[in-house]
Amino acid sequence: MGGMIPKPSFLDAQFVTSAVVLLVVMNLLLVMAGVAIYLERKLSAYIQDRVGPNRVGFDLGLPLLQKLFGGFGFWGLGQSLADGIKMLLKEDYTPRGVDTVLFRLAPGIVVIPALLGFAVIPWGGEFDFPRLSVPVLGWTIEAARVEVVGAAINIGVIYLLATASLSIYGIALGSWASNNKYSFLGGLRASSQMLAYEIPMGLCFLSVLLVVGSLVPRDIVAYQHQHGWLILSQPLTAVLLFVCVLAECNRAPFDNAECEQELVGGYHTEYSSMRFGLFFLAEYAHMATSSAMWAVLFLGGTSLVPFANLPLVSPDDAGILAVLAKFSVLFGKMFLLVCFMIVIRWSLPRLRFDQVMQAGWQGMIPVTLLILVTNALVVFAGLATLPVLLLSNLAVAGVAAGVQPLLPKRPANHKIRLAGSRFSPLDHESVLVTTRAQGVAVIDDPRRTSALSAH
Amino acid sequence: MAIPEQDLIRIASKPMNRLEAVYLPEVFKGFGVTLRHFFTSFGQGKTSRTMQYPEERREHLPVEQGGMEPRNFRGVHRLNRDERGRVKCVACMMCPTICPARCIHITAAESPWDDREKYPAKFEIDELRCIFCGMCEEACPVDAIELTTEYDVVGLSRQEMVFDKEKLLKVYDVTISKKPM
Repeated sequence: MGGMIPKPSFLDAQFVTSAVVLLVVMNLLLVMAGVAIYLERKLSAYIQDRVGPNRVGFDLGLPLLQKLFGGFGFWGLGQSLADGIKMLLKEDYTPRGVDTVLFRLAPGIVVIPALLGFAVIPWGGEFDFPRLSVPVLGWTIEAARVEVVGAAINIGVIYLLATASLSIYGIALGSWASNNKYSFLGGLRASSQMLAYEIPMGLCFLSVLLVVGSLVPRDIVAYQHQHGWLILSQPLTAVLLFVCVLAECNRAPFDNAECEQELVGGYHTEYSSMRFGLFFLAEYAHMATSSAMWAVLFLGGTSLVPFANLPLVSPDDAGILAVLAKFSVLFGKMFLLVCFMIVIRWSLPRLRFDQVMQAGWQGMIPVTLLILVTNALVVFAGLATLPVLLLSNLAVAGVAAGVQPLLPKRPANHKIRLAGSRFSPLDHESVLVTTRAQGVAVIDDPRRTSALSAH
Repeated sequence: MAIPEQDLIRIASKPMNRLEAVYLPEVFKGFGVTLRHFFTSFGQGKTSRTMQYPEERREHLPVEQGGMEPRNFRGVHRLNRDERGRVKCVACMMCPTICPARCIHITAAESPWDDREKYPAKFEIDELRCIFCGMCEEACPVDAIELTTEYDVVGLSRQEMVFDKEKLLKVYDVTISKKPM
């Protein structure tokens, strides 16, 4: 019996765990996107003194199920499901003149990176995998201590950073392929915003990595178990990274890429049905991934209380209960952060695009560079303890607040001359001038009018 | 035309102080406002203003709280009947003349009764074109056409929403108890 098919070499305890984690987390993430959309609508409704979706339950309009679930009054929990079904069944309209291949490819390119990032989030610390035998094939999987993570790779944080910024390709391609200037402007805005905020984001990551001394998310969590959460020692870095995350997700107050008032729907103006649904899904999946990442970096990942090692959530505990407890802790943190992002969206007005750019290039980058330098000095001097790191971080905040009023002020709403336009024509250029007195169009160079009339 | 200077209100906003210029404390103040609204309106709390429409209706509320005043509410039309149950209309063509939406179409015919010369052989109101201004009601010399309190009128086709004489008389039968003539 058995042994007919040799056991593949990659099939070990870590492989099985990773597969299970990916399967569970991927589905959980997709459900989470639906839940986040529901939450967004419900929270925004209550914030604006409305009620929000409260009709759709899970009865699908069938009388039998209506009896089972008691009709509506299910707090509208079925709304996201109904919307998903609606999006799947709606007409998928491809406008004329679009770049068909890119237009169809773009939603996928947006969704895939948003889901990829989840692979390296350390969901449950470590797990004592028991010895397992596969019944029919006769394979045995040896017991081992494995990591509860989708992909146990050593460059986890770099991978996160890379996948987080990949989704911009989908946005840029989709907006370009749409053959619509509003979409294109949205895509351009998203790209330049991505460029501006990728740098401070990377620098924030670097500051954390300097302190922790490792690129592995598991080690970052272990460090915080030992030395206290990094938000306590690096509050400024935490805030700045959160701002970067918001900008990366194209999330309010940085959602200039899809601002309705200026750009219709932004980069997904031309998309309909499930293609639009994928953009929508990607936004929320991206939010969830970024929140989980932020929780791992600054909120201690799977640790429940900043300084104490509680029994179930300590890094040494590797039972199945401990894994579940740690998972719930991290998932809860992620959930709260997603809620926080939603509250931010419905509290803060959107920044003007030049303000976004100015804040990125002239504000975030210098400050994060300063943080990086101070952290490097602290670590180099061997003083990387919580009070010293906290003091150096606050000192950077103080320096930034002190320097800011000395910087040259820009007028709040300054006009930029558009060379070659009617109001600032180029030299020797004839422009169309309409005078009210004559009521006719005179083609002339306005600065030479007096010279001409002198003849 | 330029706006006269005395009509202009020039707003000079206060310059920000140091704390406000930092932006973050003010942001958290903003969160305070949103969260206050969140908690006060949570689950139709005290700041919530929503009426759960098909179950709660304006008819159920007193007028002071935004309820419906049936005497001057302008809902769907009805054609009134006289004491003998006949249509009251005399086909004088006042209402189609005044109607700004041109949605009333009357075909007049010689009256079979001896108390008037004409009566409407056909009387149609296109409820989709109607703007519910109530001018027909004002114009009618015999109080034959009236707007009722019914407002949730639906139909599956455009043709269905063109109310003919029989339907308008039926509206009268249904609404006469709610809104006396």
